[in-house]
Amino acid sequence: MANTQRLYLTCIRNTLDAAMCLQNFPCQEVERHNKPEVELKTSPELLLNPVLICRNEAEKCLIETSINSLRISLKVKQADELENILTKKFLRFLSMRAEAFQVLRRKPVQGYDISFLITNYHCEEMQKHKLIDFIVQFMEDIDKEISELKLSVNTRGRLVATEFLKQFI
Amino acid sequence: MSGRRGGPEEFVEAENAEAIILRIEQKSRKIETLLRQSRPVEALKTALEGSAPKTMDERCKSANWIVVHRAIMAIKDVDGMLFSLDPEYYDILMKYLYRGLSTGDRPTCDQCLQIHEKLTQRAGLGCILRCLADTENTV
Repeated sequence: MANTQRLYLTCIRNTLDAAMCLQNFPCQEVERHNKPEVELKTSPELLLNPVLICRNEAEKCLIETSINSLRISLKVKQADELENILTKKFLRFLSMRAEAFQVLRRKPVQGYDISFLITNYHCEEMQKHKLIDFIVQFMEDIDKEISELKLSVNTRGRLVATEFLKQFI
Repeated sequence: MSGRRGGPEEFVEAENAEAIILRIEQKSRKIETLLRQSRPVEALKTALEGSAPKTMDERCKSANWIVVHRAIMAIKDVDGMLFSLDPEYYDILMKYLYRGLSTGDRPTCDQCLQIHEKLTQRAGLGCILRCLADTENTV
């Protein structure tokens, strides 16, 4: 199981390494505008093939590249209802603070849990391999975080129920 | 039939589609024989050969994919396979690997992830980039 995760993350890392070839490209339609082409998708010649990497039925990663921007959308494994709610709340918490992360997108792409938008400006300010390390590290940590949250919810629920029911003994 | 966009090329395309599908079926039989003789590497080479013709027809692409998928799933020794595969097939194999990864089916994805790692080590990041950049000959 750990091996498939390692292979999945290696595959994503290699694909990102190849796909993160961004350069500045001013908007072709509107003067003096500079827009991330992957979001608008107006000109097909500026877009590369989108790539979908699935680890299994539940987890997948969509990587869409264009000449000046790259969008990565992740779907995180959610085994049951509780994990579903926890993931949604946790990732919503992160997305609302997208300004602090810089590369995070405020709303995830339809069908996914969280999305990143990396533009050529990010690549100029920050190091490419560090950006990729960040994304892969994020994917590793998100699973651990969700498990920890689930554990703490169950523990707290058990403690609260025990205390409450003590008065009826 | 694939959409009529007028002009003589469309008719040629339609005829070609039938011919291509026939060819793919022949290939499929050949591959079954090779797999029964426990020669998965030759089977994969046969599957990848001749899958590059420029065809827009979805049926041809799906038929080709089924054949290549069968060959990929039969591979047990990935290192040996890549060692004996000619470099000219790396790009087309990478395209099929990404198609396999997009299916979401667990055994297919496991196998494709394994081969992807070894193929990237061998062929480099250029192989992946050519796969992303080639918007005309998609599989």
